[in-house]
Amino acid sequence: MSLCGAMMKSSVEVNLLLLLVFTLCVKAMRYSPPEKPVLTRCRSPEKETFTCWWEPGSDGGLPTTYALFYRKENSETVYECPDYHTAGENSCFFNKNDTSIWVNYNITVVATNALGSTFSDPVDIDVVYIVKPNHPEKVTVTVMEDKGWPFLRVSWEPPHQADTRSGWITLIYELRVKLEGENEWEMHLAGQQKMFNIFSLRSGGTYLVQVRCKPDHGFWSEWSTTSYIKVPDYFHREKPMWVLITCFCAFIFLILTWLLHMNSQSLKHCILPPVPGPKIKGFDKQLLKNGKCDEIFSALVVPSFPPTAPPNCEDLLVEYLEVYVPEEQELIMEESKDLNDLCLKSGGCTSDNDSGRGSCDSHTLLMDKFREAKEKRKPREQGSGQAGTESQGNQRDWEEEGSSCAHEDMVSPSISSGRVKTWPCVFSPLPQYSSGRLEHKGSLERAKQHCHSDTLFPLGSTSSSLDQQGQHTKETLRPSNWEFGLSNKQPHLLHPHTRPQRQLQAHSDVNISSIGHKRELRGLHSPAPESTEYVEVQRVNEENMVLLQPVDSERGHMEDCSQVPLGEDYSRVNGVDRDNRLLLQREVTQGDRCFCGDRDMNGERTENCYSLSTATMTQKPRVCIHTAMPVQDNMVLGVTGYVDTSTASTLPSY
Amino acid sequence: MLTDKTGTMKEVGLAALMLVYLELSMRVGSAPICHHEQTGCHTPPLEDLFDRVVQQSSRMHGISSDLQSEFGRHFFPSKNIIEKRKCHTHGILTPADKENTQRLGRDQLTEVILRLLGAWADPLSQLLQSMSLDKNQDLNHHNINKVLEISDMVHELRDGVEKMAEKMKLLGVLGNTIGYVSPEILAPSPTVSFYKQGELNSMDHHDLLYCLNRDSNKIKNYLRVLKCTTLPGLDC
Repeated sequence: MSLCGAMMKSSVEVNLLLLLVFTLCVKAMRYSPPEKPVLTRCRSPEKETFTCWWEPGSDGGLPTTYALFYRKENSETVYECPDYHTAGENSCFFNKNDTSIWVNYNITVVATNALGSTFSDPVDIDVVYIVKPNHPEKVTVTVMEDKGWPFLRVSWEPPHQADTRSGWITLIYELRVKLEGENEWEMHLAGQQKMFNIFSLRSGGTYLVQVRCKPDHGFWSEWSTTSYIKVPDYFHREKPMWVLITCFCAFIFLILTWLLHMNSQSLKHCILPPVPGPKIKGFDKQLLKNGKCDEIFSALVVPSFPPTAPPNCEDLLVEYLEVYVPEEQELIMEESKDLNDLCLKSGGCTSDNDSGRGSCDSHTLLMDKFREAKEKRKPREQGSGQAGTESQGNQRDWEEEGSSCAHEDMVSPSISSGRVKTWPCVFSPLPQYSSGRLEHKGSLERAKQHCHSDTLFPLGSTSSSLDQQGQHTKETLRPSNWEFGLSNKQPHLLHPHTRPQRQLQAHSDVNISSIGHKRELRGLHSPAPESTEYVEVQRVNEENMVLLQPVDSERGHMEDCSQVPLGEDYSRVNGVDRDNRLLLQREVTQGDRCFCGDRDMNGERTENCYSLSTATMTQKPRVCIHTAMPVQDNMVLGVTGYVDTSTASTLPSY
Repeated sequence: MLTDKTGTMKEVGLAALMLVYLELSMRVGSAPICHHEQTGCHTPPLEDLFDRVVQQSSRMHGISSDLQSEFGRHFFPSKNIIEKRKCHTHGILTPADKENTQRLGRDQLTEVILRLLGAWADPLSQLLQSMSLDKNQDLNHHNINKVLEISDMVHELRDGVEKMAEKMKLLGVLGNTIGYVSPEILAPSPTVSFYKQGELNSMDHHDLLYCLNRDSNKIKNYLRVLKCTTLPGLDC
């Protein structure tokens, strides 16, 4: 007996030992009872049935089964899940018969495998609180119109399982809308109604609409499937905007028009600048007013065109010519004088009217210089038999200025006070010469003449013009192609005593009717410094006509040496001697001089005395052209042939 | 002297009579209105009554849910259960699913509603009294006000349902068997004694509120079913 007991004891021990070994073996082989499952959720879609899902733990390597047990409120009866399959894997479905509302369910899941079973934590649920319906169905979206404005009408139906018709379950709905391409939804709570209107749509946009529902106390359903709706284009909405835009543009247009109207003048000037009117040389408005056609047209004749002078060796372009206008044309001269006044006042070369002259033309320069010298020369002026007319005085001024200007232009400026350096030589015998003119300026005596001929002038006239007392007969004529003969009737060109001062005031605006005509020198002519046209006397032909040529820098040389000993440039009047001889000076800078015989030629270089053959001239005195003074350094001999009057001052009195 | 006394006595009596008269006339009773279709009696239509009742019940349920969640947060953060506790209205047979509810019929459904409403008038007042006397500072005034509000709402809802029932009787929708039911008859035992002898503690409060929440939900649901059964319309 003791042996049996001992054996039993040992068997029990052996069993225990075996069990221990087995357990250890199992553990060593990684087999274990299942892990505790977890009930994840329970849901009821219509408050009539519900489903519970659990999450299984590790099965421990062995096949594991799961079971769900539940217990109702205040009842100890344990029921097992009636349906494990309807709702899928790891789920338990409670049908209508098994579902009780307002009753607590105590649910537990058990996992069982070969090694054991594990109970999950119990969960208490009340079906009322776990209702999560399905999403609404049959969502329809339509575009409707309200007074021209479109809106969306969304309508839907509750999920078919939820019995809202009997009132068993009450759902509230919510929908959301967004434009295609946007990220944010626009939420709208619709309450218990099954229809909703959406306003403020974008024209032509595509909208996405979704609806969901929820019972009074429960969970929201999933969103329904998206419904797409495209809003048609409409302009009705944008009409007010277009009206606004149109009004705004019209307003702007009105303002611009008013501004343009206000500034029309300045705009016209800016866009269409006024075309400068044509300025015709020699065109005088006053002549037009006077209505003398002849004078007008004669004034229009440009001295340089057409060329009427016989072809000479040199171009008969006289640049500077001062013409003295006789009394008959005093009126005209007055007018022109006014213009000259204007030019005076304007000052400077640039203010000259458009007469085609070169820049810093002689005329205006003359004026300036004249003005300068005037103040200083005034005390020296000696009125000698002048007709005390204002015009004369003015003319005097003109002449002075003109002379000064001319010199200024031609020669390098070295005008000393009170001297007119240059003087154009003019002998334009206007038939209308009156003897009233008398010009005698101290300055004008210095005037030089371009006299190019040995038979040029009556010396007397020459000398008188160059007299220090201011005999100056100058006639400035328009350059080139002027022939004027020195009539014998005229006593001298520059006679100091006879002072038929006829001055032809050559001005661009003055009627120089003598242009193109043969003039007769009628004696002394005070050169009018108004004109800036300087001519140089080229020669005197057989008919006692002084051929002038415009002085320019490019004077050609006379190539032929006719009887006129003008092979070289003897256009400078050096002085006038007592015998009324015009003292000319040989152009030093110019080469190619053709010295013809018949001249008294000094061996000195600086002094050339040419006594013009006065044989042809019936009139005495002879004009001896000689350089009365040496060419000094200060005497700048320009190519234009103007003598520095400073040298003339040193002329010995003849 | 005797005449003075009699004068005074007459005055007093007159005053008393007047007071009684005023008392009777001004009493708002829950007597059914418009008996027997009196002429000139204006009652709101049934639909309006139903709407009001349904809204009231919904509001009541919302407040009770708020109360319960606050209570539960304080005491039982994770659990929403009542263990081995029964609500004092467990004796009232209420349908637990839709079929049973629909099978019940309008008359009985109305009666169940009325019973539920009547069963809660007294416990709520006791709860209110208990909460106000609670020395525990956890109960704030906000909850007390809510309980007070629910208590009033229960009373109003009860009256409303009764009026509605009367209306339905007049319309022939309800039978005449439904009448005013006193809560003392329905309740098997006084509420207080049901829960606890003596004062209610916070645990009792919680249980009470839990039961209140459930019953208000029932009432709401039953009323909705009643409405949709009686007046099927757009809301149903």
